[in-house]
Amino acid sequence: MRDVVAGYGAVRILHGVSVEVREGETVALLGTNGNGKSTLIKCIMGLLTPDAGEIYLESDGARIDLTKRSTEEIVDLGIALVPEGRRLFPRLTVEENLLLGAYRTGARADIDRNLPFCFEAFPVLRERRRQLAGSMSGGEQQMLAIARALMSSPRILLVDEPSVGLAPILVTRVIAKIRELKDRYQLTVLMAEQNFNQATKIADRGYIIVHGRIEFEGRSTAELRENELVKKYYLGV
Amino acid sequence: MFTWDLLANAVVAGILLGGFYAAVSLGVSLTFGLLDVVNIAHPAFVILGAYAAYVMNSSFGLDPILTGVLFTPLFYALGAGVYRIYYSSFERRGEESLRGLVFFFGLLFIIEVALSLKYGVDYRLVEAAYIGKSIDLGGVGIAFRLLVPCVVGLLMTLALSLFLSRTFYGRAVMGVSQDQVALRLMGANPVRIKTIAFGIGIAAASLSGALLITISPVVPSTDRDYIGRVFAITVLGGLGSVGGTLVASIILGVAESLMATLFGPSWSLAVSFGILLLALAVRPAGLFGR
Repeated sequence: MRDVVAGYGAVRILHGVSVEVREGETVALLGTNGNGKSTLIKCIMGLLTPDAGEIYLESDGARIDLTKRSTEEIVDLGIALVPEGRRLFPRLTVEENLLLGAYRTGARADIDRNLPFCFEAFPVLRERRRQLAGSMSGGEQQMLAIARALMSSPRILLVDEPSVGLAPILVTRVIAKIRELKDRYQLTVLMAEQNFNQATKIADRGYIIVHGRIEFEGRSTAELRENELVKKYYLGV
Repeated sequence: MFTWDLLANAVVAGILLGGFYAAVSLGVSLTFGLLDVVNIAHPAFVILGAYAAYVMNSSFGLDPILTGVLFTPLFYALGAGVYRIYYSSFERRGEESLRGLVFFFGLLFIIEVALSLKYGVDYRLVEAAYIGKSIDLGGVGIAFRLLVPCVVGLLMTLALSLFLSRTFYGRAVMGVSQDQVALRLMGANPVRIKTIAFGIGIAAASLSGALLITISPVVPSTDRDYIGRVFAITVLGGLGSVGGTLVASIILGVAESLMATLFGPSWSLAVSFGILLLALAVRPAGLFGR
């Protein structure tokens, strides 16, 4: 995305943000609460239309303008989001949630492959497949949210704040799972996260967003770690 | 004079009636239970379906239930159109709660009045070979005019239940009122999903209307007898639960039939509201609510 400007009504959140994610990369989008991480993700998914700037997907030489597409069409392109707050269907069972994840036409034929894989990656989901999603613990719900996104056979996985509301041990586990899945599926991942230490465990590189502007682009996690902003905001140095 | 035969007959008639009540209530279970659309015009579409069966029967001698089945695509389209109007006029603007209710209330009266103007307020009925016939099982009479609608009602319940649990559209219908943004993130358009579900609800209403006129003659204002019944059944069964709707329908059918046998038919409507109040007081989520 290039020079994206976006906000809600008169409130401008993003002031010309440019971010690039190349195929096969895991990119971290770092920033504390209220700096525009979720707004940026909403723009990519078509849940919010930017006031200016461009967002596009380049694949096989074709260039697709995402700002002109609906959320449903963007999902159909193979982009899946694990949303902030998980957004499960609380009164549907675990299995029904997973099957809804495979709603898009491109994913339906893959159910026989994807469903066993999700159960293998998250055995707790197999045990609880008949249980209502809303009755599970936060960690289990986060696992389900990730598994549901994988059910859509995505090429690109967006993850918004996977660590929110989880105990530290669960955060470590969820982050490790995302990496494992990325390796197995050859996914491209963009992860918005405020937990710097966890995010840099699996990211190839990252951006730091402050007040709706990209303040630093780290070409490696080492570069990120050395950055003054990171030292000031995250590492307490 | 109370006899065991009388009781057995009342219970069997009640169960058969229950299968028919399920057919009438399925659409509300779908639209009100799963879509959160308070479609109180539902019974008017039932009567519209009954009159379609009447017209085809009296003009061409077509079987009422066959007519009901043949007309479902037309009523599906009608329902989809009604939902689109409702959506663009009220739901999209967040004004559905009160104004939407008025919209459906108005629709109910417009359909009722239109039918009265066109066909008058005389009772209309249909003719078919099985109406009037019955079989006797050891003192318990089973009237075909009740048996056939009951069987069709059970088939409709089965079909809707399979649609919801086995198809992608069905699962999306179950999720649409829980989180519309999440549904879009699954690649499904919530408005499209609701349009399909509402169309199915109205198609089910029209088919149940064909069953209604097979059971007993119909006037345009018959819809009023069903407003209380269908909402009582939907709430008692548990919002959005198709199996619950069937169980609640049979409970209500048997209760009404017993009341009618023991105390007289004028009590039967009080039964549905009595059961509704009891359900709300004791188990607000209904028998099978999630």
